[in-house]
Amino acid sequence: MHGWTGTILKVDLTVGRIWREEIPAELLHAYLGGRGLGVRLMRDYFRLDPFDPEMPLIFAVGPLCGTPAPTAARLAVVSRSPLTGTICDCSAGGRFAWRLKAAGLDALFITGQSPTPVALAIDGDSAELLPADTLWGMEVKESVHALAGHGSVATIGPAGENGVLFANIIMGEGNSVGRGGLGAVMGAKRLKAVTVDGAGIVSLADAERFEHARRDVMRLFSASPVIFGELGIARFGTPALVDLMRQRRMAPTENFRKTVFPASGNYSGPAILRDYQAKNDGCFGCPIQCKKSTPQGEHLPEYESVSHFGALNGISSLAAIVKANTICNDLGMDTITAAATLSAWGEIRGRFPSAEEVPALLRAAAGRYGDGGLLSLGSRRLTEQLGRPDLSMSVKGLELPAYDPRGAYGMALAYCTSNRGGCHLRAYPISHEILRKPVPTDRFSFSGKARIIKIAEDTNAAVDSLVACKFSFLGATLEEYAELLSATTGTEFTPQNLKEIGEQIYLTERWYNCENGFTSADDRLPERFYAEPGSSGEGIEVPPIDRARFAEELQKYYRIRGLTPEGTFSDPTYLVRQP
Amino acid sequence: MKDQIAKYAGKLLADRSALAGRIAIAANDDVLLADGDPALVRLAGSVLDRLNCLSLVVASPAVPFADFLVARAPAGDCAIVPRDTETRTFLHDIPFLRANDLEADPAARIAQLLGSRKGVVVEGVGIIASGALTVEQAYINYSSVFHATFVKYLEDLLVEGFRLPGEKEAFAAFRTGWLRPLTAEGLVFRPGPLSNPDEILDEVTTVGRYTVERGLVDSFFGNISCRSGDLIYISQTAASLDELSGCIDPVSFGNTSTTGITASSELAAHRRIFETSDAAVILHGHPKFAVVMSMLCEEEGCPVTDCWKDCPKVRIMGGTPVVAGEIGAGGLAKRVPPVIAGPGRAMVYGHGVFTIGRTGFAEAFNALVEVENWCRTEYFRRLALQGITG
Repeated sequence: MHGWTGTILKVDLTVGRIWREEIPAELLHAYLGGRGLGVRLMRDYFRLDPFDPEMPLIFAVGPLCGTPAPTAARLAVVSRSPLTGTICDCSAGGRFAWRLKAAGLDALFITGQSPTPVALAIDGDSAELLPADTLWGMEVKESVHALAGHGSVATIGPAGENGVLFANIIMGEGNSVGRGGLGAVMGAKRLKAVTVDGAGIVSLADAERFEHARRDVMRLFSASPVIFGELGIARFGTPALVDLMRQRRMAPTENFRKTVFPASGNYSGPAILRDYQAKNDGCFGCPIQCKKSTPQGEHLPEYESVSHFGALNGISSLAAIVKANTICNDLGMDTITAAATLSAWGEIRGRFPSAEEVPALLRAAAGRYGDGGLLSLGSRRLTEQLGRPDLSMSVKGLELPAYDPRGAYGMALAYCTSNRGGCHLRAYPISHEILRKPVPTDRFSFSGKARIIKIAEDTNAAVDSLVACKFSFLGATLEEYAELLSATTGTEFTPQNLKEIGEQIYLTERWYNCENGFTSADDRLPERFYAEPGSSGEGIEVPPIDRARFAEELQKYYRIRGLTPEGTFSDPTYLVRQP
Repeated sequence: MKDQIAKYAGKLLADRSALAGRIAIAANDDVLLADGDPALVRLAGSVLDRLNCLSLVVASPAVPFADFLVARAPAGDCAIVPRDTETRTFLHDIPFLRANDLEADPAARIAQLLGSRKGVVVEGVGIIASGALTVEQAYINYSSVFHATFVKYLEDLLVEGFRLPGEKEAFAAFRTGWLRPLTAEGLVFRPGPLSNPDEILDEVTTVGRYTVERGLVDSFFGNISCRSGDLIYISQTAASLDELSGCIDPVSFGNTSTTGITASSELAAHRRIFETSDAAVILHGHPKFAVVMSMLCEEEGCPVTDCWKDCPKVRIMGGTPVVAGEIGAGGLAKRVPPVIAGPGRAMVYGHGVFTIGRTGFAEAFNALVEVENWCRTEYFRRLALQGITG
């Protein structure tokens, strides 16, 4: 078999058993890998509580991983989110995915709960559980350092150990398995880390065809101003978006009360490049290298992190923002939820945290002490407990990232239809509503957006299953990636059937959520966005979202998806009819 | 969405790329919306129903070059492979279906091809192009296929001459009927230099529209800029040159802000040209005969195979330098600036033409017209030299 290894490593932490199994080829063809494979493997478990010992934690790579396909050295981690209760997958780069494939594995399926802290060490064909009592309590950097020599590391920090509901798993190179709190699922299993090494090579079915497609991708990257342009993310990282969001008047500010933060220039892409001499430190094998770090190796924050620790909390100090980002990485916490929860808390108590207060609050959240006890729960539970649930700027309990929905109506809809909650990456309408790729759409119009979001969700579900980076698709398309996949596997894939696979993945996720009680009532934005305007000015009006028009487009979306007006399935046999 | 269907049906007529009465555009909202020729509408709906995309254009091109390419293609071929840069980059190749291979209901086969590519040629029917997200995107893809097949046919004709019954007559009709004299007559330009921001935005918008109206672009793509102090006012990426209002980014020379991340993919080329010449404005279009002529190279025994990106030479055609270089960060930005300052114009292999104006857009626009007219004349001269007359 080309592209896939056809093998899954299963681990039962309760009894300490580790074994390999074959994955049926038809399952790999039907779900590709990554997010799709992980979601399929959740079929018998999705109803379990996220902290139930039998809840799987799945690491899955895709068929392109291990090949020179641009941006494909990635994996998806899949489980059920303790923060939202939804199915949850997180995509991450780093060397870990590449080495997992080199160890002969398409996926790692971890269940059970170890009686004592352990680390799973995979080295080629062998795998063992190592005692990790001495690692327990360590921050991420220490843990990675202690495991040096075992290959690539995926570890949790104190936040994951302590059950912080937005705890991340962090790769040794600093890449986060972010959003949704899968680090807490790992911590509940008393699994501190996974290390992996291997020497396997992924063979290509047609190397010449592959190289042709790879060149096509690279040519499109070069032609994309967002990727390789003079002001693009390859040069400035994702903070290149700071100035743009300011200009478009859709930078969430002070818990989304406003949409312009006058001091955002302090943490713009050029400011970070200037003040920190940012250098490329991107994902393994990625030509874009959007991730940046200081010459000393300190990871610099992404757009979401600078904007949420900045504008959302009214903090203008770049140094303070970088420090907050580093603390989250060290403790293993999601920066978006951490910053958004601080902001919601700040609005309730009438004062946003100062730059000086943030580090201690983040540490308290990771340790779940003092005010951190509440902060560790994320904004929805925090605001509910403080009697102001309206001030959680989240959908399905997942805090919204740094694109105000009043400034992009496709984004507004996509936050609500996303299966893992308020996430920008499921449909990524910012690509066309703001970045004009592949074509521009009117950001202040709902016209056609239901269909556009549906198509993009299907496309991105396939992309997350290949697994490739979303940013590739600011230049390339599924046409070129279908070619890469066909050349890799020797099986013909087209953009159309990749989108059909993506649709199947999306609907399976939606099915799981519906079975767990989610309905159209959960596909709603916080009330603020329907009632309060954003910060109009400079010729740009940012009115509240028209509630009736939003509801109309959501109903269109349900019809296009074949769902009921309640956003549920009319066919009770949908899931069992899937491969 | 209905307004979009009407708008782009109108554009297909205005740019004379499709035959009146032989146009259909379909779009999938939560229900199918379509308008145009009833038979083509039925076909469009049936194809779109099989695709996970939003829109489809089905239209018969106003010149029969796409059908000629299919008929001239060797048996066994199933795709047209143009050499121009836009097609090479964004479309790769253009699959086709021969009339003889069409089933009673060809929708399934057409949908299968469109499942892999943005546009197809169906012999006897026309060009069918999809838009994943918008009606505009389907229009763009139709126009790109039209442009690509136009250029490819002219290229092939110069090498192989007429090969089909009726081809010569059709080409003569194209030459005398479809082609129109290309001039800048009747157009009004502001005298430069331009310094008032409102005037700059208005002039860039106006001149962008001129380039589309005079057929100096494929679809509506190209880019345009004006320098004023520390700022470059440049059209945005994927912007319609005939609808630039609100789609012009001011970008600082010092890169102190990234607001211009949405600027044209050729920002780097424009910046270098401004830095290395006395240009005040820049215009870039994809006029068809210039694209064809830029790819004609008579050098023998040259070891370069990927000429569009690797050719290191500067060829001169009608006083205009021709250089290689791919779009965006792919080399064009390095090769055009060194050659454009003197003549005020440059061609890029298989791509298009850059021109500059030292004060206002009149000079740049006239230069663009002159280059295309020279290429058009030279093309027909070479055709006649080979005894190919139509």
